[in-house]
Amino acid sequence: MFAHAAGRRAACLAAARSYSTPAKPSIKLVAELRKRTEVSIAKAHQALAATNNDVPAALAWLEKDLQVSGLAKAAKVQDRDASQGLVGTAVLARGPASADPADTAGNGLRAALVELNCETDFVARGELFATLLADIAHTAAFLTDPAPASAGLIQPLQTEALLEAPLLSAADPYGAAGKASQTIAGAMRDLTAKVGEKISLRRAAAVAREPPVPLATRALRLAHYLHGSVGRPTQGRIAGLVVTSLSTPPAPSPSLADLLSRPEFSADLDKLERALARQVVGFETKSIRSAEKDEAALYQQSFMMYPGANGENVEAVLRRWAKERGMVAEAEGETHGGLEVLEFAKWTVGVYN
Amino acid sequence: MLAAQLAATRTLARRACSARATQSLLHTCARTSLRQTSRPVHPTLFQATRSLAARRGYADAAGSKYSRAKPHLNIGTIGHVDHGKTTLTAAITKVLAEEGGAKFTDYAEIDKAPEEKARGITINSTHIEYESSNRHYGHIDCPGHADYIKNMITGAAQMDGAIVVVSATDGQMPQTREHLLLARQVGVKKLVVFINKVDMISDTEMLELVDMEMRDLLSTYNFDGENTPIIMGSALAALEGRDEEIGKKKVLELVQACDEWLDVPPRDLDKPFLLPIEDVFSIAGRGTVVTGRAERGTINKGDEVEIIGLGTKIKTTLTGIESFHKELDRGEAGDNMGALLRGIKREDVQRGQVLVATGSIKAVKTFQAQIYVLTKDEGGRYTPFMASYQPQIFIRTADISTSLQWPEGTADAEDKMVMPGDNVEMVCKLFHDVAAEPGTRFTIREGGKTRSWNTRRASSCGGHASSSC
Repeated sequence: MFAHAAGRRAACLAAARSYSTPAKPSIKLVAELRKRTEVSIAKAHQALAATNNDVPAALAWLEKDLQVSGLAKAAKVQDRDASQGLVGTAVLARGPASADPADTAGNGLRAALVELNCETDFVARGELFATLLADIAHTAAFLTDPAPASAGLIQPLQTEALLEAPLLSAADPYGAAGKASQTIAGAMRDLTAKVGEKISLRRAAAVAREPPVPLATRALRLAHYLHGSVGRPTQGRIAGLVVTSLSTPPAPSPSLADLLSRPEFSADLDKLERALARQVVGFETKSIRSAEKDEAALYQQSFMMYPGANGENVEAVLRRWAKERGMVAEAEGETHGGLEVLEFAKWTVGVYN
Repeated sequence: MLAAQLAATRTLARRACSARATQSLLHTCARTSLRQTSRPVHPTLFQATRSLAARRGYADAAGSKYSRAKPHLNIGTIGHVDHGKTTLTAAITKVLAEEGGAKFTDYAEIDKAPEEKARGITINSTHIEYESSNRHYGHIDCPGHADYIKNMITGAAQMDGAIVVVSATDGQMPQTREHLLLARQVGVKKLVVFINKVDMISDTEMLELVDMEMRDLLSTYNFDGENTPIIMGSALAALEGRDEEIGKKKVLELVQACDEWLDVPPRDLDKPFLLPIEDVFSIAGRGTVVTGRAERGTINKGDEVEIIGLGTKIKTTLTGIESFHKELDRGEAGDNMGALLRGIKREDVQRGQVLVATGSIKAVKTFQAQIYVLTKDEGGRYTPFMASYQPQIFIRTADISTSLQWPEGTADAEDKMVMPGDNVEMVCKLFHDVAAEPGTRFTIREGGKTRSWNTRRASSCGGHASSSC
């Protein structure tokens, strides 16, 4: 079959050669340009015609043209409805872990949550869309300045400002490929030029926090869960991000650094935090606590996503979990130490409130 | 004696039948005509449906009678938003309307893709119909991947073939791959390609390139890239009634390509015999009789048959067929029948098993399936579930406990959730075996609620390998 196809191609190419004058773009070169850039046939044709069949020059011509045609195309699809898409996450630092609890660089929090929209789920399932979303999420996580301790943890980002930020590659964060810098808005227009659909950055938020002091007894940790992933586990239809705080009472209880250095403690903690993120995604969750009876308050929900919950609610499980690991001590009628959920975010594509 | 026993079960059997008929009545007029045609072609059932329809008064509204003279096929259009999918669909109806084979449906009407409910599930899709000189087509157009999948799972309109629309100016696009993957996923085996907007390209070599690239891509996704018909034309020209050479003529050529290249699925009557067993009786002096409504195929008195499912696999001979108190020599799809079996004890057979033409279907205990989980609004679950969830699965008359697992190799399988509204592919591990094959539909329920509609996937049949009888 392939031999036949190749034969057909050879025949075409032969025909192309015999008919074409030097100025006429050859079909072989058009095909080559298409393979390398994913531009439309008409564009590839135009590029070769303008550069007299010189492939490197045509590539440069296309690069320049992409900005113009991307703008034109983006303007054309401006009024269309982009309601499909994905939520993507980038987690660069999620708090201290057992690997090296003293590694202060990794002890802070740094993560981002981004929703990118397009018109059909066909495009959202594609690799180009996934790569762009991963890059935007990475950029948002990387560029956000650490917030002061008094501010909220999960900070919404101004999408207008983010659009003008240079796009960093998630796969190649140090830019070893030496790609010319491009803004996020520019990269989105490029995608529009390639897939012909409106691409819009609906919302973005980031967590950036220096590790709390003193590290020995307090830590912030971050967990996330993505639901409805197509290809990448960091992207999906629903995303949940949960920030928890851990603290331990003063000696003689074991210090937090001490606990975190035990692999089994860290592994259990990972499981618990991921279950929290899953709980937020799987159940309608609007707040952490509520004074009244409220199914949408996380702490009151039956902790279905935690295998060892035995029907207890989230609050009870968290208390028991901390107690079992010696993180809680009673002194002068007050409780010290424990584990609590500080903030969470739950984003669903197409659901805004 | 046998007749008397049958009379008792007749009401039950009838009820099952009318439940089906009413179900299709819930849908819009256009949908019903589509659905009926994909139904088993059996006079009694058809009449029942039609008379019910007449009572509701919309067969008259449609104005004309549906003719069964031509074989029916469901096709869909897939392609990029701007490549002229909708224009092409409108053009087909326009051109065929001139030949008397369709009602012209304009662009705006097709583009709406109304939200409709098929078996309680919300799907966005447009349905129109038209006929060529030798076939009747149901044409489906959906805005997204998820809608086509839901169509397949509910069986609202199973796509038997598809037209891929590609613009000559752009050529195939990055998402064309996703379009072809979708076609594979919903079980489409053959495609026809329409390269649109050829009047915008002056260089014929460029058209050659579009053709070549498309054939390569088709082969990459396991379609017959070499022989797939590729028609080049302009849907807009056909719609506007200009440039007949690239307009009307090409649309007719496309329809002809569909006629010749796309295969009509086998009719239920032509498939091997299968009777889901609803009830079992023991008749003194004659033997054991099983009753039910034949799902497909035909059977003659004296044929070798097999009873399979629920741990049983027995070969026997059909010694008598009876329907509505009358003895028959031949039973066929759609018949409510009683089948007298040679040398079978009553306790050997039970509801949930199937009586089939020997060797035509196997009983499986494990299989992979595409599942759609109903949302709360559609009457499904409120909360997510995880792997190892154990609902009841209903396949024909069988009702079996099953556990749902992620296919092997799924990342993070132990903490992956399934939420209402999800389309997922999972492995069903049944507690008892049941007759099933790729494409068999079933429902999953728990506490009396339908949780999901699903269909067994054709491509990945873990079931065959790991099944045991």
